[in-house]
Amino acid sequence: MASVPTYFSMYDEPFWESVSRDETRLQCCSSCSTYRYPPGACCPNCLSLEAEWVPVSGKGRVLSWTTIHRQYLPAYPAGSTVVVVHLEEGPIMVTHFDTEDVGKLRIDLPVTLTYSTHPDGYRLPKFTLGENKTG
Amino acid sequence: MSGHSANNVAAVVGVGNTDWPQDQRAVRAGARPTDAYGYGAIALQRALADAGIDKSEVDGLITAPYTPVERAAELYGINPRWGSVSDAMQSVLTATMAISAGLCEVVALVLGFNQRSGGFKYGGTGTLGAASNLSYVYHEPWGLTSQGALYALMYRRYMELHGTSEADLGQVAVAQRQWAVGNPNAVMRKPITIEDYLASAYVAEPLHIFDYCLINDGGVALIIAEKERAKRITKRPVNIRAIGRADMHDQSTTLKPRLLDFYHPGHTLVSKQVYDAVGMGPKDMDAVQIYDSFSPHIPVALEGFGFCNVGEGCRFIAETGIGPGGGLPVNTSGGHLSESYMQGWNHQIEAVRQVRGDAATQVPNCRNVQYISDVVGKVFSIIYGVD
Repeated sequence: MASVPTYFSMYDEPFWESVSRDETRLQCCSSCSTYRYPPGACCPNCLSLEAEWVPVSGKGRVLSWTTIHRQYLPAYPAGSTVVVVHLEEGPIMVTHFDTEDVGKLRIDLPVTLTYSTHPDGYRLPKFTLGENKTG
Repeated sequence: MSGHSANNVAAVVGVGNTDWPQDQRAVRAGARPTDAYGYGAIALQRALADAGIDKSEVDGLITAPYTPVERAAELYGINPRWGSVSDAMQSVLTATMAISAGLCEVVALVLGFNQRSGGFKYGGTGTLGAASNLSYVYHEPWGLTSQGALYALMYRRYMELHGTSEADLGQVAVAQRQWAVGNPNAVMRKPITIEDYLASAYVAEPLHIFDYCLINDGGVALIIAEKERAKRITKRPVNIRAIGRADMHDQSTTLKPRLLDFYHPGHTLVSKQVYDAVGMGPKDMDAVQIYDSFSPHIPVALEGFGFCNVGEGCRFIAETGIGPGGGLPVNTSGGHLSESYMQGWNHQIEAVRQVRGDAATQVPNCRNVQYISDVVGKVFSIIYGVD
């Protein structure tokens, strides 16, 4: 069943709308081109409220990861892993990560954006190892 | 007295706290000893008795966010000239600022916290602190909500950058438990070894259960008075010699200040503020209290404040020793990991007791004790001491 994740502000909707089309767009300041993620009302660099939604390249590098050995959320059983990725464009994103590849993780490894479906039904951006595994 | 500084304008004249182990046992048995206001009241009674004053002398009141100051003032029967609500470190700073500004002379700082009996959550949906810290909830669609996981991410990166191990970090939990063994008011007093640590369960890997703070009910109170008034109240005031704060909020939701910077730029700014104010450096501190919601705080803070070089925190801990008898006593009551999780408030009263010389496990010749924290983007340090 189609659903949406929690929106923490009115600016979250365009992000998740882009993700629903398997195309992650981030807010980028119209005045000074600074990216902002998570989305928000104004640019931390110049305070402008104007922004465009720009597709990201999907390329990034691993900053860190953790495997969580408890179940805190219905969708994620104990043993689920999250990865923190520094995007080529500058912002940092946190996503879930395939359990079978956890042993291969190292900092600075290149990763690529792809997509999966949350058990609640909405699309999720996620990172996988390698430079060009989009599909 | 300088009218433009929070340094050396006020002193702590009394401290008090609840009976953490007894209350933890009661709550685990299903009892509710009292609520947040009640825990605060017990701590306040004891802090007033410790100072030897009646509550009618209190003209400023600061409470923690769990007990709004208006209702707390009603229950505690205090009509202050000035009041506020804030966390532990900000409360000490705000009290000295209010005193420095002449708004009040004797401030009661009160924490009451029923996090265990009240079922407060630090992971999953509805986690505590989400309104001010979006990082606690924003990544929920991807499975990240627990605050411990944020520190697991930090220590994983630290391990990869500096070549340290889980056992290297385990020294922190082992040393703090050694301090707690000597503290009758610590919740966790059974000694642990590195082997126990390594054999314990992961929560968010690479962190083990012993890297996590306790979750328990309780209260803490401090009475802070203008420096000259303090001398009239008690023969053993502990001066708030220096306070510094520097915030790092840029991209904090996505953990940039913690994962890329380990908060070191903030540590550097604050260490300069407090060390310059007292004309001292790290080597002059007789003990250090470091906010330890999770154990990775300790090596990273020691590096940031110049006790050792960046990347050498674990080696410093191994070579110098931070437990009883060590070269640098750290979290001498057992801290959040083993004594009580009072969100930095128990560190303040332990610092005061060490300087006064009446701590449970007393550090010899203790004259200057530094407090350090870097929670939710706010780097703080306070130096307590006697002239």
